[in-house]
Amino acid sequence: MRSINLPRSCFLLLALLTAVARGQDAPPPSPYAGSEVCGTCHTDIATAFAKTAHHLADGKDRKRGFDGKACESCHGPGAKHAGSADPADIRNPGKLGAAAIDKICLACHVNQPTQTGRLQSSHAKDLVACTTCHTIHATGTEVLVVRKTEAINKQCEGCHLTVAAQFQQPFHHKLPEGAMSCVDCHNPHGSMKQGMMQSFGANEPGCLHCHGDKRGPFPFEHGPVRFEGCSTCHAAHGSANPRMLDRPQVQQLCLECHANLPVNMTGTLGVVPPAFHDLRSPRFQNCTVCHQKIHGSYVDRNLLK
Amino acid sequence: MRSLLAAVLFLPLAAQTPPAAASAPTSAPAATPATAAQAATPVPAAEPDISGWIEFGYRWRSDVNGSLDTYRSVVNLGSGPKLFGADVTVIDPKKRLFDALHVRASGWGGDPYGTLHVDAEKSKLYRFDADYRDLTYFNDLPSYADPLLTRGIILDEQSFDTRRHVGGYSLELLPGNWFVPYVTYDRDGNAGTGVMAFTQNSNEYAVPTTLNDLTNLYRGGVRFELRRFHATIEEGGTTFSSGQSLYQSPGAVNPGNLNTPIFGQTLDLTSAAASYGISGSSTYTKALFSSNAFSWMDIYGQFLFSQPSSNVHYEENATGNFYLPSEIVFYQSEQYLVSAAAKLPHTTANFGAEIRPLKRVRMTESWLTDRMHDAGNSSSLQTTGSGTPATALLLASSLASNYNQTETNLYFEVTDHLTVRGGYRYVWGDASDAVLPQAGELTGSEQAKLRQNVGLGGIVYRPIQKLLLTAETEVASSGGVYFNTSLYDYQKVRMQARYQATASLSAALDFTYLNNENPTPGINYNFRSQQEAASIFWSPQNGKMITFQGSYSWSSLRSDIFYLVPETLAQATSNYTEDAHTATALFNLNLGHWGIVAPKLTAGGSVFISNGTRPTRYYQPMAKLWVPMLKHTQAFAEWWFYGYGEAFYPFEGFGTHLASIGLRYTR
Repeated sequence: MRSINLPRSCFLLLALLTAVARGQDAPPPSPYAGSEVCGTCHTDIATAFAKTAHHLADGKDRKRGFDGKACESCHGPGAKHAGSADPADIRNPGKLGAAAIDKICLACHVNQPTQTGRLQSSHAKDLVACTTCHTIHATGTEVLVVRKTEAINKQCEGCHLTVAAQFQQPFHHKLPEGAMSCVDCHNPHGSMKQGMMQSFGANEPGCLHCHGDKRGPFPFEHGPVRFEGCSTCHAAHGSANPRMLDRPQVQQLCLECHANLPVNMTGTLGVVPPAFHDLRSPRFQNCTVCHQKIHGSYVDRNLLK
Repeated sequence: MRSLLAAVLFLPLAAQTPPAAASAPTSAPAATPATAAQAATPVPAAEPDISGWIEFGYRWRSDVNGSLDTYRSVVNLGSGPKLFGADVTVIDPKKRLFDALHVRASGWGGDPYGTLHVDAEKSKLYRFDADYRDLTYFNDLPSYADPLLTRGIILDEQSFDTRRHVGGYSLELLPGNWFVPYVTYDRDGNAGTGVMAFTQNSNEYAVPTTLNDLTNLYRGGVRFELRRFHATIEEGGTTFSSGQSLYQSPGAVNPGNLNTPIFGQTLDLTSAAASYGISGSSTYTKALFSSNAFSWMDIYGQFLFSQPSSNVHYEENATGNFYLPSEIVFYQSEQYLVSAAAKLPHTTANFGAEIRPLKRVRMTESWLTDRMHDAGNSSSLQTTGSGTPATALLLASSLASNYNQTETNLYFEVTDHLTVRGGYRYVWGDASDAVLPQAGELTGSEQAKLRQNVGLGGIVYRPIQKLLLTAETEVASSGGVYFNTSLYDYQKVRMQARYQATASLSAALDFTYLNNENPTPGINYNFRSQQEAASIFWSPQNGKMITFQGSYSWSSLRSDIFYLVPETLAQATSNYTEDAHTATALFNLNLGHWGIVAPKLTAGGSVFISNGTRPTRYYQPMAKLWVPMLKHTQAFAEWWFYGYGEAFYPFEGFGTHLASIGLRYTR
């Protein structure tokens, strides 16, 4: 029988146990570097980032596990990149597709009130990424999203060129003048209303925020105002016609619906007004001279008073 | 030996601590970053407490060449000392009352659009936001509403000179926490004067009017922001009041008096007084939630209910010589009293889900319903001095709509650079409009149904990092709509391209197209519009010498629809066409050093030219010269020209020069 070399056996056992213990219990090296490490090289970004709301993730976001890892909450684990300084070793959201960018943002922000109308919004459908409008780590005078009227309008115009041109027409809402911004009327995150329109007082049209006198409810309503909104008659971005109307003459606009057709012929509303007006007379060429309560009347079924 | 065994027993425990080598990438730099942490201090000690700029000066307006009323309706900038703008940020390094306070203002000193914005925030404690706007609304365009034009009287019978004050104030507590209560108050008031028509049976008379209205909106709620679930519950309410009066002093001569005799008598208004008194209120409830229910699914939902109501008292007294054609009778005085009320319960709900079954496939599903039902009633008493008995009338009105929509979209990421989308939307609903009892030629009750099938498609393609192409389309077929001009059988297309050629040069293209047809006999509606726009931004050497931004847009619109001429009932077509060109350009030039100063010039403007049913021209060239004066101060001189003209209403054209000088202080 061969004698057992105790010291050697102990050493082998020690090595074996060490290996087993390491394999079973030792956590792998953390793939995260931590925001402080990121800041050693990316000083400007870290300084600017510290002034933004995103910085809160570093100190308070324990529920998502990003405490102290705000940078890596978007860029992914950065230990490898910290060691190699190779850009290829870390995720750059700026070079990802819109869906991938949104996925990163919505990992934290999906549960916020701004997201409830997102699915219906054309921004979501056209894959306009969150970072198209939002700067994640602001630099200089930037913030996470522009809040000044002129800056908001300029940002929207970057994509909506045709809309920007409409505001150069003589009759327009006063955006170019800085009196209002696109987001006064539109919710860029989406809404339940057509055109991503803002709401007023829960589900009333956002136009009523400023045009409170059109709010009603009226005992005698004008159907299109309620059913299809102000844009039935008005070109809200701008028009060559007074009052931002879709047509230069009011009679032309009114007759398109009030076409004097027999009732039930077309299945549409409002086709049968009284048919005695002589449109050759200037008195009848602007219907709203007499039917002045065109947005709805409190006292007259013909919208005269 | 014992010590060896002890070592054997302890080594596995020791092995559970990560080896020093493995932790090197994290721990080694972690030692240095103490300095980085200092650099990342939110408010570096050296940073000034107050930063920003303020711009003020004086503006002159030349005499308006042409119509002053049109100028005021379109531009309305005047002379005088002005606060052109200000933007100030105050940072409190000790974070006592606030972390940061922002104040922005523009257009004060008699300008038509004055704005003031203040917001303050203290991290994790509160966020306050206040916004106030003082807006002037002047509108006096005789081409819009002048039935007296053929008699040489230029008078818009729908003109206004009012001032609107819009304020919004919100306070959010504990922002960033999982539990966020908030309160908000909005106020919107309007007051002013104008000219309106006082309508009598066979004639209308332009009379002065005063108008005012005020809406207060109060709301408060609480948000719960959890890791996988969000909910907001909000309660709110409004109060509303509106008053309007029309009046003509006894004995005044009204320009609308009809001097052409009817059955030997002329019609005139010798005195009038009418007043509206409207009060209203509303309560509403809002609940919404979103949830990342599973890693592969998000769900969203909203429920909104509002119930505004209004009460009306109207009184009208008039004297003159009036004519009632239905009874062929003349009368000299009239009193009209109305008491009315209306209520509009309105419920909206939607639900949606985004499902991600595969890595490259997403599906969205949404459903929406919107139901409103306006119910009104009115009691009126009309007394005339004709000797006929007073007429009492009770009316009940109703306007109801039930709108529903469901939509499904499927997104497929073909490659990392290409995503395509296809979807389907079905819209259905019904609407009714009734005022009973029926009167004269007016229909008492009408109904309409809405049925629409819409196909959806889209593509987002980024072949290279610098180029983004987007296109989307909607193609619809309808079985019923609410109005003659509603979208019926339509095709919508939108395409965009954005190209960042170099760091200093970018360009964009935008194209929209809409074709809408309603072939229903009697309507025969054909509508087509398209708009193309291009823009370019060039800023060589990071804008050191020159920056240029320009855009050009061409739009065309054509609309044809049948109608019957009211008096003859002959068939006719209403045509509207518009071809418009819009161009904007803006140069920023550094003019180099002129002695000790280095002036900068900004020049450009916009031009709008349209042809068609209402040919119009509108020019806005401008130039602004900046001259640095001191370390923080720049002087500027600015020139604008506004020119407007219409081919068919030349009396409404105008041309005006505006010049301003001022200082801009920056800190």
